[in-house]
Amino acid sequence: MPATLIFDRIRKELPGIGMTLALVGGLTLLIYGIIRETGLEHGSVVYLIPVVIAATRWGIVSSVVAAICGVLASAFFFYEPLYSFRITDPLEVLNLLLFIFVAVVVSQLATRLKRQLEMARQREIGLRDLYAFSRRLAMSFDVSDIHAAIEDHLTTIMQRKVVLFAGMREAAISNGRRNTVAVPGEVLTEVSEVAGGRHDAGGTILTAASGEVWLVRAVSSKSPEFGVIAIHLGLETQEALDELRVRVDEVLADATATLERLGVAHAISEARMRSQTDQLREALIGSVSHELRTPLASILGAATVLMEAPALAKEKKLQALVLDVRNEAERLNNDIQNLLDATRISSDGIKPHVEWADPEDIINSAIERCRQRLIDRHVTLNLPPDLPLIHVDPVLVQQALVQIFDNAAKYSPSGSEIAVAARARDGRMVLSVSDQGSGLTEAESAHIWDRFVRGPRHATTTSGSGLGLWIANAFIAANGGKMNAVSEGAGLGTTVAIELPVTQAAVPQMESDADE
Amino acid sequence: MQMSEPSPIVLVVDDEIQIRRFLRTGFELNGFVVHEAGTGAEAIRSATLRPIDLLIADLGLPDMDGADVVERIRSWSTVPIIVLSVRSSEAEKVRLLELGADDYVVKPFGMAELLARVRVALRRQMRAASGEPTVTVGPLTIDLAVRAVTLNDKRLTLTPKEYRLLQVLAQHAGNVVTHQHLLKEVWGSIHVHDTHYLRIFVRKLRQKIEPNADSPKILVTELGVGYRLAHSAGDSEAATSPVAAKTAS
Repeated sequence: MPATLIFDRIRKELPGIGMTLALVGGLTLLIYGIIRETGLEHGSVVYLIPVVIAATRWGIVSSVVAAICGVLASAFFFYEPLYSFRITDPLEVLNLLLFIFVAVVVSQLATRLKRQLEMARQREIGLRDLYAFSRRLAMSFDVSDIHAAIEDHLTTIMQRKVVLFAGMREAAISNGRRNTVAVPGEVLTEVSEVAGGRHDAGGTILTAASGEVWLVRAVSSKSPEFGVIAIHLGLETQEALDELRVRVDEVLADATATLERLGVAHAISEARMRSQTDQLREALIGSVSHELRTPLASILGAATVLMEAPALAKEKKLQALVLDVRNEAERLNNDIQNLLDATRISSDGIKPHVEWADPEDIINSAIERCRQRLIDRHVTLNLPPDLPLIHVDPVLVQQALVQIFDNAAKYSPSGSEIAVAARARDGRMVLSVSDQGSGLTEAESAHIWDRFVRGPRHATTTSGSGLGLWIANAFIAANGGKMNAVSEGAGLGTTVAIELPVTQAAVPQMESDADE
Repeated sequence: MQMSEPSPIVLVVDDEIQIRRFLRTGFELNGFVVHEAGTGAEAIRSATLRPIDLLIADLGLPDMDGADVVERIRSWSTVPIIVLSVRSSEAEKVRLLELGADDYVVKPFGMAELLARVRVALRRQMRAASGEPTVTVGPLTIDLAVRAVTLNDKRLTLTPKEYRLLQVLAQHAGNVVTHQHLLKEVWGSIHVHDTHYLRIFVRKLRQKIEPNADSPKILVTELGVGYRLAHSAGDSEAATSPVAAKTAS
């Protein structure tokens, strides 16, 4: 219905036209006053001002209105005979014609400028979107990241609720709720039909029981990796729907071109492969470690039985060999444990079992666990009375401490001091371990938290996997804490500190402190 | 283990023949008589056929869960049970202790460590049978009959809850007692999850009973599981600890 459309457009222009009329009126009053006072001529040129303003602010219609009103006002107020639209002087007629010509040209130019400005701004927003989108894609590690990025991108450019489904399975398991957007069941069914290739990828508009209108289509008919989108179109008339649908087609054509240009399909399949490789690797490490541990338990146990055997009591050399077997088995066991821990960490398997724990207990049991390794170190404890309890997984914190002790023992001379301290400060609990060992150079400090990184100074002299501190850091992070290591430099010892949150306010009160 | 009584009989349940072999040798060297079982069913049958003094059970058995073996045997026998578990499963340790296991040893373990646990468990069994009322841990003596606690022969004054806590631990002297069990026994079942009660009370109790409360040797923490009243059979483990405590600042 073109009549309603024209009416619509006029209604849209009305505020601009109103403003223009007010502007011309005001200006006429002003100029009329000035001309009366000063006797100036050719006031019509002044009406170029509202023409330009209207053209830049409210568009071509308003500027034409401004030009017409300007001509009329000039004829009425400033040209002989005054207060009549008639003009007698042919020169002034020419003058007015010139004004009209200039006004039209100026308004054309101004409108075009405005449109270009608008377009430039749109393009800038589009570019910024695109830039943000491609940056997100670059940072995406797995398929779901990429899909989330596509979804947000489409939401921004469509200005509608957009839900992207990676495939049939996801439509089935997402259960109709994602990103706080509720997707009706009918739409989900259609999504899985389209994803399964049973329905036309070109798109279907359907009305849910709730009256909402949704458009379901494959993002790209060529690349099924991009998934299927459902766009909430809202409650629109048929014409508006057709218009919207054309727009969706355009936007999607654009988007898929972008996606293809950015190599998203490739990225998606690569991410899928990567996650499968990761899973395989974790599973392999997990099962291999387990398989290695079982014989270790026999080796270690048998060695300890041999050590006590009366038959070997006088055979010092043989006993030393047995001791070697035991110690090496223990070392191997630690390495395997580290591998298992690392697997647990990278497969996101750390689930802290938090409870109220006494930091003293954690420190003491870590020292107890390392008793063998710390036997010829001078361990000092500095624990202030009334340390607050902390709400953590005590076993994880203890294991982190064990890694730190292990390092301290490894990189410090026999007989040196290892100082262990705990203190509560500014809502944090700080557990620190200071050794008098080989310290850290600046280059080493930068990398000690990395996985499999070992300082080149020690790589050949001290054994290790470079996993210890990385594991410790992950365990502490899982408890909401952080770690840091400070050293004055090479040979000057290292202090490794664990910082854990103390939620003082949350420490529950005992119901009866003085037990009845 | 020098005793005048007949040799204690231990039943070793593990599906790994190598583990059974070293356990057999280790136990026999220390004067035990060893029976073996490779499966849970075999273990249960063996335990019903012949009297045993101790059960060592591995958790990963081919035919049934080790926890089921513990539960089944505990349903008709008070024989001490020590479980061989793997690390990183504190929740499982707690579950096993609650099912009736007396203690656990984490794999891989040394024979000395296992023997220490075994002796503690046997001694507890003997004390329960003889009605011996006193428990001695280093300088600390707890007389359960007259409810008296002395440290270096000096009588200690404990609050009723502190005594109750110590009493429960002394009844299981040497074995680990879970947080849940202690909380239930001392504060009642509604407080089984209020671990902070325990932490605060244990601190107070350690101030009274530990010669050096900063590195406790008598009331020992088993992280994530519970507490243990150190009751090592003669060998003074405390002496080998590397910690030289400084006075707290």
